[in-house]
Amino acid sequence: MDENGSTRREFISNAVKLGGGALVLLSGASASGENSAEGYDWEAHRYAYLIDTTKCIGCGSCVRACAAENSVPDGFFRTWVERYVLSAEASHVDSPNGGKDGFPPVEPGFAPTKSFFVPKMCNHCKETPCIQVCPVGASYRTKDGVVLVDAQRCIGCGYCVQACPYGSRFLSPSTHTAEKCTWCYHRITKGMKPACVEVCPTKTRQFGDMTREDDPVRQAIEHERVAVLQPQLLTEPHCYYLGLDKEVR
Amino acid sequence: MEHGRHVFRVLFVLLLAIVAIVLGRALLIPKSYGLYGPYRFDNVAEQASVRPPLHGGAASCAGCHADRSKAHAAGSHKVVSCEVCHGPLGRHVKGGKVVAKMNVDHSFTLCARCHRKILGRAEKFPQVVLSQHVQSPLEGRVCLECHDPHSPKL
Repeated sequence: MDENGSTRREFISNAVKLGGGALVLLSGASASGENSAEGYDWEAHRYAYLIDTTKCIGCGSCVRACAAENSVPDGFFRTWVERYVLSAEASHVDSPNGGKDGFPPVEPGFAPTKSFFVPKMCNHCKETPCIQVCPVGASYRTKDGVVLVDAQRCIGCGYCVQACPYGSRFLSPSTHTAEKCTWCYHRITKGMKPACVEVCPTKTRQFGDMTREDDPVRQAIEHERVAVLQPQLLTEPHCYYLGLDKEVR
Repeated sequence: MEHGRHVFRVLFVLLLAIVAIVLGRALLIPKSYGLYGPYRFDNVAEQASVRPPLHGGAASCAGCHADRSKAHAAGSHKVVSCEVCHGPLGRHVKGGKVVAKMNVDHSFTLCARCHRKILGRAEKFPQVVLSQHVQSPLEGRVCLECHDPHSPKL
């Protein structure tokens, strides 16, 4: 009798769980009717990002802001800052904790002839290796030019992490799905700037919209001598750099 | 006659298989998948509302702290947005209500992140080697004892 009771209890609890599952499925189906952010037309924008490396002072404000804004887990980075200390014969490159706490003084052990900081992040490429290798259609590029990861579809295989030539993806230690810079999609769709751009004290980082003719970033890309990282890979990045050195990959 | 039944059985099994595949596909593939490409379109809206923005931006502080903002805008730190030093607005105000005191960092580290002389910074950017800058270097509040962080030029 006792045993019977427990199986009946199990049956009821399972039935409730199943019913709940069905409800979730149903509500999911009804929610999928409304599919774009309110009042936001993704066809009316084409975003681009400009990084003037000559202005970067390596304060790490962007890295801290990104971590706070997007709850980036410790030790992982959606954006980071690298320091290059170079001479004709030798080089020293460092990025302690992604530059999150700023940079300490450094003794490179040779006489440097130039040194500079380079902020890095997802390049939001047009021809992305990361999307091409995704076996489940979790990585995609929006019409406004942002490369995103659907955490619900991602199976955490890590192919995209390996495929990205810029090292801008990682597997989240909590969700075990691929995570990356979204250009703060939750901000830019509300007309705000990405958090890193918002806090950059030297205007090293700028965010713009290529559909607007008077946009400063579009103006810079059209009139200045901009470069992209690893152009030989033909990934067509939408992060443009000013003052990029040949040593930077 | 016997052979005809065999053919019917095979066709029936085939039909069952097709129905199972079509039904299974319809059940397994998310509704908005493939609308604009090989991805779930609903995720675009999900990403747009994944969390409320935490940083308010340069203008958002002036709403309550107009005089501070004015002083700040007149000083040499006017290009440095409030949230660079004080942290994101979302930790201070939520839904129009103050939820926590804004972070005020008096430490040497705060100033040093931008102004300590290190390799990598452009020569023209104001940088300080502490031992050459003051006579008795004190960690802690040393910068703010002489400099107003909102308008640090003496």
